[in-house]
Amino acid sequence: MDHIDMQQLKSGEVNLGTSIMAVQFEGGVVIGADSRTTTGSYIVIFFQISVDSGASEHRLQANRVTDKLTYLHDRIYCCRSGSAADTQAIADMGHYYLQMQAQTLGTAPTILTAAALMEKMCYTNKDQLSAGIIVAGWDKSFGPSVYNIPLGGGLFRQPWAIGGSGSTYVYGYCDATYQEGWGRDQTVEFVKNTLALAMSRDGSSGGCIRMCVITEDNVERLFVPGDQLPRFWEGREVLGEAKKPQINRDVVPMAVEA
Amino acid sequence: MSIMQYNGGSVIAMVGKDCVAIASDLRLGNQALGISANFQKIFPVSDRIYLGLPGLATDVTTLVNMYTIKEEREIEPETFAHLVSSTLYERRFGPYFIEPVMAGLSKTPSGSFKPFIAATDLIGCLNFAKDFVVAGTASEKLFGVAEGLWEPDMEPEDLFETISQTMLNAVDRDAYSGWGVVVHVM
Amino acid sequence: MAAASVYSSPGFDFSNQIRNNFLTDKGLPLPKATSTGTTIVGCLFDDGIILGADTRATEGPIVADKNCEKIHYITESIRCCGAGTAADTEFVTNLISSNMEMHALTHGRKPRVVTAMTMLKQYLFRYQGHVGAALVLGGVDSTGPNLFTIHPHGSTDKLPYVTMGSGSLAAMAVFESGWKANMSREDALQLVKDAIAAGIFNDLGSGSNIDACIITANHTEMLRNVEMPNERAKKEKSYGFRRGTTDWKSEVIRKLVLSEEVTPIGGGDAMDTS
Repeated sequence: MDHIDMQQLKSGEVNLGTSIMAVQFEGGVVIGADSRTTTGSYIVIFFQISVDSGASEHRLQANRVTDKLTYLHDRIYCCRSGSAADTQAIADMGHYYLQMQAQTLGTAPTILTAAALMEKMCYTNKDQLSAGIIVAGWDKSFGPSVYNIPLGGGLFRQPWAIGGSGSTYVYGYCDATYQEGWGRDQTVEFVKNTLALAMSRDGSSGGCIRMCVITEDNVERLFVPGDQLPRFWEGREVLGEAKKPQINRDVVPMAVEA
Repeated sequence: MSIMQYNGGSVIAMVGKDCVAIASDLRLGNQALGISANFQKIFPVSDRIYLGLPGLATDVTTLVNMYTIKEEREIEPETFAHLVSSTLYERRFGPYFIEPVMAGLSKTPSGSFKPFIAATDLIGCLNFAKDFVVAGTASEKLFGVAEGLWEPDMEPEDLFETISQTMLNAVDRDAYSGWGVVVHVM
Repeated sequence: MAAASVYSSPGFDFSNQIRNNFLTDKGLPLPKATSTGTTIVGCLFDDGIILGADTRATEGPIVADKNCEKIHYITESIRCCGAGTAADTEFVTNLISSNMEMHALTHGRKPRVVTAMTMLKQYLFRYQGHVGAALVLGGVDSTGPNLFTIHPHGSTDKLPYVTMGSGSLAAMAVFESGWKANMSREDALQLVKDAIAAGIFNDLGSGSNIDACIITANHTEMLRNVEMPNERAKKEKSYGFRRGTTDWKSEVIRKLVLSEEVTPIGGGDAMDTS
């Protein structure tokens, strides 16, 4: 038991030690994230009611799923990494401002507007926040777009973006694999494979994969359960089969005095 | 050494049958050095509420003055406990170093009196116990002795003996409390 | 005049901070506050929510309260379990309870669980984790049953079953193996009791009794001490002292009953009381 000390009250913050990703394609964007959330050294296991893609019914899934793909507006989502509290607060504020803007202007906000808004909050409060956010979606003016907002602020439009602690392991994979002109299905595969690789190397990422395909027509949610993740080479015995120990039946056990 | 041990001192309150008792030691110290052997730590708030304030002596004085100014009227013990709690929680991030212990008799709708005891930590977390509450430098010893000696439905005379012996024996093994005990039985 | 002299501005008072920092700099560490190194849980069942809690409050290694209440009132159909700094959970739930009542009064309808959740998370976020309340918030509103966890820094999660506090791992183990969707009220209550019991017996920060609260659309049932697995055995003998054991030095008896005597002054007639 850790008793609460007046000076230690800030310890034990909830972190999204995460793997997140967003990739744009011809008609939209695919965003994805793992589902692990941690506090201190524990893995906090979360279960989430998930909405099955297409169908309107709510189905309970017995999977370890935190939702790091957060709604900002009808066709704008963000992927959150860093402190859960900070990124939730930023996303809530962003959601509020975008709702107000859409209501007063009567049109849906652009991804650039949303991303610039989020960046402003991240930059002006950079000393107090730990938040790495990817904003992605589709809008009428620019079509599909992905904006990366790294830790201290900054706004970068990219064809693909990765973030969170797991992303460092898979930059090379993304550089080597990404190609322009992919369709929806290829992009989904790319996101799924990248996240699976990141999750297998990063101890702070794991669980299952959640993805969203955002197009003009709709937002489609996709799920990959933890036992159906794409698998890659996972190693084999380098030193060859271990030899079975030869048991010498002639050895007499040591006599023990009673 | 914590600030709570700077001046020393301990308080305990116990419930009996239609009666309550509250007791404190009399020492005031400057760390190991004894300053006074007759330092008051229990203060009457009204006819039927007594407030014990172990902890940093300067804060004891500050709070006693505050309550004397604020509460020159009859107040129910439960209400008073919440007042103490709120006062302390207001200074959540710069607390007074005291752990108040309260004992009183509260009026029931039928006009009779019901024993009441409560204690809070230094930031005002209330603890309404049904048997006894303790605070101060000897609190660990008091917990142990009281847990062994307290029994339900004691008459005032027996409650006096139990609380006195609990206090005297616990305080004997605490370097920062002592120099005699004062007991109030209501 | 009197009102002005006792006026204090709302919010926290930091006027002791300079003195306290001086004392800490002198090498006197700040003392510990009461914490509820707790097991608290919440669980969804077919037509509502069940919340559960143990009843131990600790102050360092000492059990400060053996039977405290950790399921706090928010509204009639919303309750909140608290873990962490005991004073913070007590005051934060009280504050939000008041605000929820005001909300209900101004809008003329029952407030939702998400409203309480948003109020709590925004309050806790503002204090950046310094208000050390870890909460399990549950209730039933117009949208159905809702269950949330709220961490001290202000992050929240919406889940069908949750645990918090130092006993959360023990309790979660019970939920992981026993929770099913659409459980009956009886099964869910038993599961919650088992989860709290796991915390009580396996986590040193949790102990004593089990409290539970069953919330459905039109009824809330607070089950205080539903199970008391740690009741103390009755003492076989009395440890009372013989009267006169304590050798006291002086006795002062304060008479609370005032006796008044009226002495008529002057030769006036007695008042006519007929």
